[in-house]
Amino acid sequence: MSLATGLLSRAWVRWAITAVVVVVLFVLPLQLDEYTNQNLARIGVFAVAVLGLNVVMGYTGQVSLGQIFFVGAGAYVTGYGASHDWNIVLVFVASVLVPGVIGLLVALAAARLGGLAIAMVTIALPIVGVPFAKRLSDFTGGSQGMSSAFSNAPGWTGLYNDQWQLYIVLVVGGAVFLLIRNLVRGKYGRAFAIVKDNEAVAASMGISPYRYKVLAFTVASLIGGASGFLYMAVIQFTSPETMSFGHSITLLASMVIGGAASILGSLLGGAYYVLVPQWSNDIDPNLTELLQGALLLLTLLLLPGGLATLPRVLARTLRRTRTPDPSERRQTPSAPPAPGRASVEETPTVGGIPAQSPTERQEQA
Amino acid sequence: MGQFIQLVVDGLSNGSIYAVLALAIVLVNQATGMINFAQGGMAVLSAYVTWRLVEAGLPLIVAILLAVLASFIVGGLLERFLMRRFERGDPDTAVVVTIGLLTLITGVCGWLWTYNNQQFPSLFPLHTVRIFGAAVSVRSIGTFLAIVAIMLVVQALFLGTKLGLALRAVAINPESAAFSGLPVGRLLMAGWGLAAALGAVAGALVAPQLTLTPGMMDTALVYALAAVILGGLSSPVGVVCAAWLIGVLENLAAVYVHFIGYDLKVAVPFILIFVVLIVRPQGLFGRKVVVRV
Repeated sequence: MSLATGLLSRAWVRWAITAVVVVVLFVLPLQLDEYTNQNLARIGVFAVAVLGLNVVMGYTGQVSLGQIFFVGAGAYVTGYGASHDWNIVLVFVASVLVPGVIGLLVALAAARLGGLAIAMVTIALPIVGVPFAKRLSDFTGGSQGMSSAFSNAPGWTGLYNDQWQLYIVLVVGGAVFLLIRNLVRGKYGRAFAIVKDNEAVAASMGISPYRYKVLAFTVASLIGGASGFLYMAVIQFTSPETMSFGHSITLLASMVIGGAASILGSLLGGAYYVLVPQWSNDIDPNLTELLQGALLLLTLLLLPGGLATLPRVLARTLRRTRTPDPSERRQTPSAPPAPGRASVEETPTVGGIPAQSPTERQEQA
Repeated sequence: MGQFIQLVVDGLSNGSIYAVLALAIVLVNQATGMINFAQGGMAVLSAYVTWRLVEAGLPLIVAILLAVLASFIVGGLLERFLMRRFERGDPDTAVVVTIGLLTLITGVCGWLWTYNNQQFPSLFPLHTVRIFGAAVSVRSIGTFLAIVAIMLVVQALFLGTKLGLALRAVAINPESAAFSGLPVGRLLMAGWGLAAALGAVAGALVAPQLTLTPGMMDTALVYALAAVILGGLSSPVGVVCAAWLIGVLENLAAVYVHFIGYDLKVAVPFILIFVVLIVRPQGLFGRKVVVRV
């Protein structure tokens, strides 16, 4: 363990690992079969969508039920642009910016409401979005949906379509993940965290909760648009059903089960979104929703930090069962930590519920 | 003119159903500070129970009353064994829990009774009567009157009984209520139970119109939430008025505003919300909440 962390702290080791990962990601699509490639590409698409939801909900603590709407909007803009032979760069920029502007407008109004009301307003986005997409049939193809084959592999590459599409997802999705990782680890990430934690404290530090909520929501909708672009690139078809209320709930469940406020959790969330419904549909399609609700509630009860925190929780449980250190036991009742301490320590939370109980925290202190 | 009256009456009838659901949401919010997104799902479950009882041969009105009673118990149990673990924590997590509950209940309904539409008998006769030259359905009038009566009963319960007084005390300040000897836990269960019972009534009244499916109340929930925002969380009267306003306005907009039509009328409450949010962020009737830090 210490050897591993010691190695990881050296810059050249980290660069080498990054290089290996990049090379593996570059070679992998050439080796895998079509079905796996397609599944991986889909996971990438929804990992980006979950990442967007994580920015507004996991990192900033504002429950959004509308993320899928921005994915759908991005997909429609992509489809429209591609079918009118726009330049592909222009298509991408439009598919990100149009949802972003809609998100900004919604956020400007919704963030005026305190806390939960954002959830109550954003639930309208998928519910209004579906009939709206049907209505604008000149742009969207109505209930029939629209398809677009702009992402077929060009002849000079000699690649199959699934390989080419997976490369698109890896490049665009990788770039989005890198950008967001930097965003949430920097100044803005700290501002988001304090807005999530305590708006009054944020305001007293000169961080406007309103402005950062709007920012987080807008960033989330921009990422949603990027995810929509990838959706169109991989699935090559979209219909109003893409942004239905049910999908919105599944996206939220994916984020919580994968892990809130976690980059790794977003990837796991994408995998959940794609794989679990596939498996449960194989068993019994009528069971899918029941299973999802049960999994979501179980995660909230047993593993509030989501799957991303599972290794940490397991390690802690193992450590405790292996070494029942008597000195630790003795401290617990007599020496509670200083009052300010526990709140300063960074504890993994899902929307504020500590991922570890107070007694565990005391043992560590 | 005839069409106008008809639209207004139908709108009031739809609005009443949103109003009951919205009242249930306000009830839970006042008691526990959370928004229960599963309120609609719980209403659907109650409607399925009613439907099963009718299929088993009971008269409709008895089935509805039994389902209301069952909902009261289930609501209380849900509060005790699921929601209480999240009540003291972060409200955003509690919201996610209720969304999980919504998915779970919808899933249970779909698994037990499939996702196909089921016919649900109507409590009121389906013929129409003529008022001022308008053909108004008896069902709309009956729904409206039934719900006004229920609201009066709820109001009387809250203002005129010891139980109501205790519930209000717990809502305002749980700690002080506990110090003065009130069984806070049991009262919270009662609050959730009452909300679920209200939802059961809404479910039974709306099911004949929409036919029974697991997702039947999703749209009604959205309308109810819109009414809650418009009316302000702290004002039951405001919420009911907002729900009626939404019901009437969306019906009128569907017919008289060409672009909106029947398929986009769900957008009406949200256009209203955006206007209200910009002009009056605390809701039409709500008080501005000032939090002490």
